[in-house]
Amino acid sequence: MKSLVKEAELYRTQGLLEESKERYLEVLQLIEKNQRFQSNKKAINVIKDRIVGLERDLAEIDQETEAPELSGKVQDLIKNLFSFSQNKDAAEMEGAVALARFGQYERALAEFNSLLDKGTLPLIAAKNVLRCHLALSSTDAAIDQFRKWLSGELLSKKQLRDIRSFLEYVLKRKGIQTKLPEVVGESSQKPKEVGSEGGFLDVCSVKMRLESGPCKGSTKELDVTFQSGNVISLIVSAKDKDLIDSFMPGIRLRGVHFFSSICVFRANGIVSEWTSIKTGPRRGDYVLSITIDRSDKLDIL
Amino acid sequence: MANFNLKDRVIECKIVYYGPGRGGKTTNLQYIHKAFKKQTTGEMISINTKGDRTLFFDFLPLGLGKIKGCEIKVQLYTVPGQVRYSSTRKMVLKGVDGVVFVADSLEVRRKENMLSLKDLQQNLAEQKKSIFKIPLVLQYNKRDLAKESIPLLSVKLMERELNGKLKVPSFPASALKGTGVRATLQECLKLTLQHLQRELKWAG
Ligand SMILES: Nc1nc2c(ncn2[C@@H]2O[C@H](COP(=O)(O)OP(=O)(O)OP(=O)(O)O)[C@@H](O)[C@H]2O)c(=O)[nH]1
Ligand SMILES: [Mg+2]
Repeated sequence: MKSLVKEAELYRTQGLLEESKERYLEVLQLIEKNQRFQSNKKAINVIKDRIVGLERDLAEIDQETEAPELSGKVQDLIKNLFSFSQNKDAAEMEGAVALARFGQYERALAEFNSLLDKGTLPLIAAKNVLRCHLALSSTDAAIDQFRKWLSGELLSKKQLRDIRSFLEYVLKRKGIQTKLPEVVGESSQKPKEVGSEGGFLDVCSVKMRLESGPCKGSTKELDVTFQSGNVISLIVSAKDKDLIDSFMPGIRLRGVHFFSSICVFRANGIVSEWTSIKTGPRRGDYVLSITIDRSDKLDIL
Repeated sequence: MANFNLKDRVIECKIVYYGPGRGGKTTNLQYIHKAFKKQTTGEMISINTKGDRTLFFDFLPLGLGKIKGCEIKVQLYTVPGQVRYSSTRKMVLKGVDGVVFVADSLEVRRKENMLSLKDLQQNLAEQKKSIFKIPLVLQYNKRDLAKESIPLLSVKLMERELNGKLKVPSFPASALKGTGVRATLQECLKLTLQHLQRELKWAG
């Protein structure tokens, strides 16, 4: 018994909370079985308190915020450490995307804007600017930004058209009905190529049939909030607890429909992560990440 | 991703500490930070949750001086071990040159060690790297707890379960006390530099 308590205590100090709770529950069971200990109410209470405390800590960890605001210095470091490409433009883009992936949207926004100003991969930069606005929950800012680009010279008509259909689609998916200003001017001749500058299509939403968990058998359609290559992130409302439980990390998703602004394609994926949001307007909701399998051919529908 | 700058003759390589949550990866880096004061070329950066779990990564830059006319710089990273931070782990592992796998000797973490090693294998495969080919060292951490009569996995068992197929160098250690930390890192550096030497053909 003494050694069980000792183990439980050690696991607790090491942050192995589940393991610690299990041991304390064993201790409690032992006491309940054994007449000799039962009179020791004080000890029983101490153990019960410990278990309650552990449960509270476990719940807190579940709620932990995913993206603290980091200092400028650390943001610089992330930007530098997570750009790998030999190509300078691609490397700068990777650094900015890394900032967004680590939840540093404000800073990422500034980076994407500066890339756009420099004319570096303008289409990707512009779409990522819009994504950051949307991730920061400012739909209006995204639309304003588009208006500004329309009257400026940074982007070509062809690019603006592409961005317009991207934004229109994303907004429609969010249930926002706004008439975006048209792009007027010379029309693009070539049909749009499949696959954007980043090598992966922009995915606006996904539709899939769940094969396990409480929502097994049902079909769900969800909006994509952020994308980096073949990893997409979606925000799911905290009220949809059943849905979250159907998306445990590691679950394979087969035959998912991916809707992009230019086409719909089908691919498989895997739930790679889920975390809860603690601050900001979407506090309490969850972010799910899905990694789409890379395959040489896209199954375009 | 080892960055080899021919002109300045500088090699920069990346070593990642991988392993199950709470296994002692961050503690390894903290010890190195103290013990390798002379070689440390910048601050250690840790991005944690409130409960001291790694949220994004830890980072520590080292400078090893010159080897065969080349200046060697090393970046040490740890990944977040918690299962749910899977995509962050992939991101931190990107461009890795060598891996230290920190296994937890606690009996209650037996399954987690195996799952994490499998996760490492998968994530390396996504980068088109093989766990059998990459410079890799295993560390069986928290051996100091044997004295406290906490149930530990025997080194023999860990060796069989984790290293049976890999057959890479392994070290019992206590990151908290600092035993075995230096040996683990040195072996991993040795393997990594030998590997790079073959790949980049820099020596000579
Ligand atoms: N007794 C003992 N405790 C250790 C040892 N190494 C680490 N710990 C303890 O184990 C706990 C977790 O250590 P960390 O270094 O934070 O573990 P980690 O692998 O970085 O964990 P994550 O960041 O969650 O992946 C801490 O309470 C450490 O003090 C060791 O060698 N012996
Ligand atoms: Mg850590």
